[in-house]
Amino acid sequence: MSAEYAYDEDGHLWPFFVFTLALIVTVPLTFSLANRSRDPAAAFKRIQTSFKHDQSDLVDTLRKKEKRKDRKLWLLILVLAGWATMGQMLYLIKTTEAPENKLWNPYDILNIPESATEKQIKSTYKKLSLRYHPDKAKPDPAKNLTIEAISAHYVEISKAYQALTDAEIRENYIRYGHPDGKQGYSINIALPKIIVSDGNGKYIVLLYSALFGVLLPYLVGSWWYGTLRRSKEGVLMESANRLFREYKDNIDEGGVITALSTGKEFEDLLKGDKADAGLAKLESKILAEGELSPFAGGLSVKDKEKLQDLESGPQRKALALLWAYLGRVELDDPALTKAKFEVAPIAEALNKSFTAISLAYMNTAPLLASYYTSQLLIQALPPKSSPLLQLPYFTSKIVKAVEGDSRVHTTVQSFMDRPDSKRRSLAVGKGLLTEDQYKEAVSVAKQLPYLRVAKAFFKVTGEKYIIPSSLVTLVVKGRFVPPGNEKVPQVNEIDLEDVDPAEDDLDAILGRKAKKQVGKDEKGKPIMESTSDEPIFPPLAAAPYLARDHSPRWHVFLTDSKQGRVAVPPFTFAQFDRPIFEADGKTPTFAMQTLKAQFQAPPQAGHYTFVMHVVCDSYVGFDTKMEVTLIVEEASKAEEMSSEEEISEPEEDSIAGIMNAAKGGAPPNPKKRKEVKREEEDEDDDSDEESGTDESEDDTSDTDTDTEDES
Amino acid sequence: MFSLDWRGLVLPLCYVVVLGGTFMTFSTIYRKRKAMESANLAPWFPPHLQRNVYLSLLHMEPEGGSEKTPKVPDSVIRAALLRRAVEDIHRIIQIRTAKAACGSLLQRGSVGDDLWQRFQRAEKEMEEELRDVVMEANALAPNWGQIIFQSANEIAANTTLRERLDEIQANTEAEKEWWEKRRASIKTKELEEDGEKVTSGDEPVIVENNTPSATPAGTPSAGSKKKKGKK
Repeated sequence: MSAEYAYDEDGHLWPFFVFTLALIVTVPLTFSLANRSRDPAAAFKRIQTSFKHDQSDLVDTLRKKEKRKDRKLWLLILVLAGWATMGQMLYLIKTTEAPENKLWNPYDILNIPESATEKQIKSTYKKLSLRYHPDKAKPDPAKNLTIEAISAHYVEISKAYQALTDAEIRENYIRYGHPDGKQGYSINIALPKIIVSDGNGKYIVLLYSALFGVLLPYLVGSWWYGTLRRSKEGVLMESANRLFREYKDNIDEGGVITALSTGKEFEDLLKGDKADAGLAKLESKILAEGELSPFAGGLSVKDKEKLQDLESGPQRKALALLWAYLGRVELDDPALTKAKFEVAPIAEALNKSFTAISLAYMNTAPLLASYYTSQLLIQALPPKSSPLLQLPYFTSKIVKAVEGDSRVHTTVQSFMDRPDSKRRSLAVGKGLLTEDQYKEAVSVAKQLPYLRVAKAFFKVTGEKYIIPSSLVTLVVKGRFVPPGNEKVPQVNEIDLEDVDPAEDDLDAILGRKAKKQVGKDEKGKPIMESTSDEPIFPPLAAAPYLARDHSPRWHVFLTDSKQGRVAVPPFTFAQFDRPIFEADGKTPTFAMQTLKAQFQAPPQAGHYTFVMHVVCDSYVGFDTKMEVTLIVEEASKAEEMSSEEEISEPEEDSIAGIMNAAKGGAPPNPKKRKEVKREEEDEDDDSDEESGTDESEDDTSDTDTDTEDES
Repeated sequence: MFSLDWRGLVLPLCYVVVLGGTFMTFSTIYRKRKAMESANLAPWFPPHLQRNVYLSLLHMEPEGGSEKTPKVPDSVIRAALLRRAVEDIHRIIQIRTAKAACGSLLQRGSVGDDLWQRFQRAEKEMEEELRDVVMEANALAPNWGQIIFQSANEIAANTTLRERLDEIQANTEAEKEWWEKRRASIKTKELEEDGEKVTSGDEPVIVENNTPSATPAGTPSAGSKKKKGKK
C-alpha cells in the first residue's frame, strides 16, 4: 500500500501545531514584557533624602514619562493574543475527538482472553461461525444489519482465527500488526483543509506576498536604517556629526554646553513655534545679574557672546534653556520650565557622544571638559560654580555665606571636614538654612560616594618587572569614604596588596569570585563566606534636578601632562566587587575596592610619569588627580633575573660545590649569598604558599610607584 | 516541432518583468537619491573670505563712470595673498588634526558616513587651494611660492599666541577689582580683631599680616608695572 498525504480534515492535528507555534513565540515575549515592566531603577539603591525643591513634582513626572516610553503597548497586545490563541487551541484539542485508530487485536474480535489455549480458540471460533456465518445470520433492517456488514464481520472473525492458528498469517500479524501483512499509512499535514479549498487560494497567496514582499523588507529596512540613523553612543548621527564639527582643542565646559546645543534632538523637541516662544523672556532671565556669577545662568561673557551670535531658532532656545537649567533660574512659565528640565537629559546623552569625539583626538583638556560637563548637567550647576550647591537646600546665598568672597570654591569634602559647630555657624541662621534643612544637607553629604584613592600602581601579572610592550595592569585601590565621616578606619595594609592568583586557581584567573573560607562546621565541612556573586552598584546619583535616574560611573585614565595628551584611554567602572554601604544604605563599609585597567607598556624602557585621573561623572569635586610612574625595565634584565634564580650557584659544601672548586671556580661570594638569602626570607613572609622555586613572586613591592596618597 | 503555449507563458513572463522592473526602479531611485545627498552636503569650511578678497582685488572691475580699471598697488595684493595663506594654514591644521580622529570615529560608528565624505571633499579642496596659492605667489614674485607658507605659519602662530594673551589681559581689571575688595575686607577684619585683642591661631591671617601696613600705595604701581612688562 502506498503512503498518502492528506490535509487535516477533521481538525484534530492542526491545533497542536498552532499551539506549539504560539508557545514558541509567546513565552519569550512574556519574559521580555515582565522584564520591561519591572522598574530597572528599583534594583538600585538610592541616597536617602526627603529633599524636595519647587519643581520636584515636575521632574518626577518627566522621569516617569521616560520610563513609560520604554513600555510598549504592542508587545502587551501581542502577548495577550498569544495566550488567547494558546487557550483556544487547548480547548479545541480537548473537544475534538481524535479518530479511532484501534490496533487490530484478534483476541478482542473473538472475545477471548489472551491467555486462551488453542482448544478454547477453536471452540470459540466454531461457536461464533455458527452464529455469524452469512448463511446463518439474517439481515435485520431494524438493527441496521445488512448482508455486507454480516459478511465483513464474518471475514474478521475468520481472519482473527487464522492469525492465531495459521503459522504464516500469524507471522504477518506479529511483524505488521495485521494478518494481511503491511498496512498502508497516511500522513496528515497539520493544516486545516480550509486553506486549500477552492476559492481561498488567492487569499493565501495574498497573505504570503504581504508577509514576504512587504512585512519582511519593511522590518529589515527599518532595522537597517535605524542603526544608520543613530551613532554608537545612541544619539542621532546628524548630531554626532555636528558635535564633531564643534570640537576645538581648547574647549572648556561652557564651550561644550554651547556645542551640545547643536544637537538635532533639540530640533525635534522644540518644533514649530516652540522654537522661539518665550525666547526673549528666557534670555532676559538668564542674563540678569546673578548672585555668584555675572549672569544668573552662570555663563561667562564668552558664552553669552556665543549665545547672542546664534540665529534665533531651536539651537538658541536650547542653549538658553540649558543655561537656565544649569543656573537653576526660575522661569515663571510652565511651558518654559518643563522644557528646561527636558533639555538636560538630552544634553547629557549628547555629551556621551562628545566624550567619544574628544577621546578620538586624545587631548586631555577637551576630554576633561566633557567629563566635567557631564557632572554639571547631572547636578544642574553652572561651570566654575561651588560644588556645595550639590547639597540639598544650598542656594547661592548660603554658598556665599560659607565661602565668603574667596575665589577658591569649598568642596563638599572640605566643608564636611570642618567641625560641626563651625559648619553650623556658617550655614545656619536667619535667611540661611533652618536647623532641619541643615541636618538633611549633612545627612545627604554623608551618603555621597566619594572614592578616595589609597594607592595606585602598575604590575604585570606573574612577573616581577615590567618589560617593554608587556600587558600592564594599572591597579587602583580606593575606598568609598563619604564626606564628613569621623570614624574612618585606618587602611589595612594587606588590602593594598594585589596578590596574583595561584597558577592552578582557575576561578580567580577567569575572574570568578573566590569564596573565602570562614570556618569549619562540626563535621569538618568548610563554611564559606557568604558573598554574593552579583556586582555591587553604587546608589543612584543624588540629582534632584535631572529628569532621569542616573547610576554614577567612574572613569580612570592616564594622561601625559607635558603634552596634554591622553596616554591610556579611560576605563569606566559602574560596578564594584565589594559592598559600598551596609544593608541600611547609609553606613559606609569602607571596604577596599580594586579597579583594574590593562594596557600595553611602551616599547622602550625607562621611567614614564603619568597623571592619573579618576573622574566621577555624577558629582562635582569628587575627582582624583595624582602622579604615577611606570618603570619599564629592559627585557634583558628580567631574563637575567630568572636565569640567575633558576640555576643557583652551588653551595660550598655540596658535591657540586666541590666539583666547582675542583674546576678552579671561585667559591661563591658569601656576601652576595647573604643578600639573596635575606631576599628569600622577605619573600617567604608575604607569599607563603607559592611554588617552591626561588622565583616566588612578591609582585607588588618592586613595581610599586610610591603613590600612597590618602587625600 | 513544438507548439508553444504562449498563453501559458504569459504568467511567468509577467513575473520576470515585474521582478526586474522593481529592481531597476529601486536601484535608479536609490542612486539618484545618493547623488543628490552627496551634492547637497554642506561644505566643511565657511566661505573663504580672504581668498575672495584677494580675487576681487586681482580682478577689479572699472568703477562706474571711469573707463580705466583702478590700479591696485602690488603690496596690497601681496598682503592679501599672505592673508589668504594664513587662513589656509588654519584650515590645514584643522584638517590634519581631525583626520585621524574622524577616521577612527567613523570606524567605531560614532560619526556618520556623510561627515567623512564632507571631510574628504574639504581635504581635496585644500590641496587645490594650496597649489593655487603657491602658483599665485610665484606669479607675483619669483620663488615666493616656496616660502609663503613658512611666513604664513609664523603669522598664524603669532596670532593665536596674541589672542590668548589678550584673553588673559582682559581679565586684569576684574581681578584687580576683586583683589582690592578682598584686601579691604581682610583689613577691616584684622582691625576688628586687633581692636578686640583677640589672638586667634588662624594661620591665613599671618600671611596677610604685612600687606596693609607695608605699602598700600605701592601695590597698584607694582600691578601696572607688571602689566607693562607683559606687553
